[in-house]
Amino acid sequence: MKRIGLLVPSSNTTVEPEFYRALPREVTLHTARLYLTRIAPEAILKMIEDMETQAKLLASADVDVIVLGATAPSFLNGLGYDRELIQKLESATGRKATTTTTALVEAIRHFGAKRVVLGSAYDDRVNGIAKAFLEASGVEVIAMKGLSLVDNLVVGRLAADTAYDLAVEVSRADADAIVLACTNWRTMDAIERIERETGKPVITTTQASIWAALRAVGHTEPVTGYGRLLRELAPSKETRAA
Amino acid sequence: MYGWRGRIGLLVPSINTTMETEFWRIAPEGVSVHCARIAGGRHGTPEELRSMENASKKAAEDVGMVEPDVVVYGCTSGSFFEGPEWNKKICEQLSQITKAPTVTTAGGMAACLTAGGHRKVDVVTPYVELTNERLKQFLKAHGIDVLKLGTFDMLDMFDHAKIQPDEIYRKVKETTTPEADAVFIACTQLRALEVVDMLERDLGKPVYSAVQASAWQAFEAMGVDPQITHCGSLLRRLSEPGARKSPALRRSA
Repeated sequence: MKRIGLLVPSSNTTVEPEFYRALPREVTLHTARLYLTRIAPEAILKMIEDMETQAKLLASADVDVIVLGATAPSFLNGLGYDRELIQKLESATGRKATTTTTALVEAIRHFGAKRVVLGSAYDDRVNGIAKAFLEASGVEVIAMKGLSLVDNLVVGRLAADTAYDLAVEVSRADADAIVLACTNWRTMDAIERIERETGKPVITTTQASIWAALRAVGHTEPVTGYGRLLRELAPSKETRAA
Repeated sequence: MYGWRGRIGLLVPSINTTMETEFWRIAPEGVSVHCARIAGGRHGTPEELRSMENASKKAAEDVGMVEPDVVVYGCTSGSFFEGPEWNKKICEQLSQITKAPTVTTAGGMAACLTAGGHRKVDVVTPYVELTNERLKQFLKAHGIDVLKLGTFDMLDMFDHAKIQPDEIYRKVKETTTPEADAVFIACTQLRALEVVDMLERDLGKPVYSAVQASAWQAFEAMGVDPQITHCGSLLRRLSEPGARKSPALRRSA
């Protein structure tokens, strides 16, 4: 048995159900919450203050890895900010840690994608920060569109169809991958459909966080139903040949 | 939105590794579980158990953000230790913070035994002697006598999760007496849900567990039938006509 410790913004209603559904039976999820109501820089920085305390509570449940399952909070202060947060988490708890943004960039690199399109739940301000972070990480964002939402509870009420619609709308022929950002936005149910429709790998922040968490605890069995990324968790013969 | 049938705000002691997993196992289509952790140490000393009452308020503020339909204070000893009034105070405090009805594990324990008409019960716990005495007093205050108590006698609450389901099965079997109407397995950190149904079938009497009793109260409060048939008679009863309270009004879409 392996245990994943997940830090979620308090108003997030999506990431726990999506993790639970995708995780194999021998990996369990343990959650702690960070107070957050609005996806705005000021509110997010306040949330980070609470992070180490809550991470220690997860460590007391002897989790094998701690994931900061929040996208905007982990890219907010630009390149290297996610690493800073990881260091804080690791030194506070003595556990391996990662963040959603870190996982997202790793997943983009996993596919060798250089140019991506970005769909998100965010407004232009937060989207701009996301774009800058990805580009500083060596990934070109060739098109981008957000749902302009700031109230996190409202994001949690959206149906997965909104992710499908936005992804198909923002997709471009010359993109290597489609990125969908915000862990409170239901994306997991839309991934397979978008990949079939566009023929491109889809990376969502929740899916990438699950992928990174499973890799961190040494789980290498494929997880099916949520796109190529999780299906390729264990290198198959097919991908080795490719 | 996830949890369109019901959202459960679950508060667990920070060291707990069992209850979230078991709650998700029970949750049917449309029900979601959102967890927050109650700060505290791993040893179930009186100071620790008492401090959880205050620490749970912070966790309630966080979980209240998901607009839960019910809040569960998921710790048996943390809700019975200072008696029924203390348990009631915890419920009231957390309801005020979260604006949702709150149930506790100790409350669920008393309620399920009372609802079953059980006056003489056997109890299995992982607790040390003082905590076991407090449990007996709590049940006594509800008119329920503990005939026999079997214990794993461990102070370290984290280690309670290391007790395997088959050990719990055997402990219940060696503890229970023919005179007892029912058996209650205390502690939300014990992996009892996996064996509660087979214990009932093998012993021919009701067997309840801490997580199961908490879930039973939560689903009753939400007016949701989990349609679960392999986690004991208590949860199965929620599928019977008239078993649930009239459906609660949803707080939001």
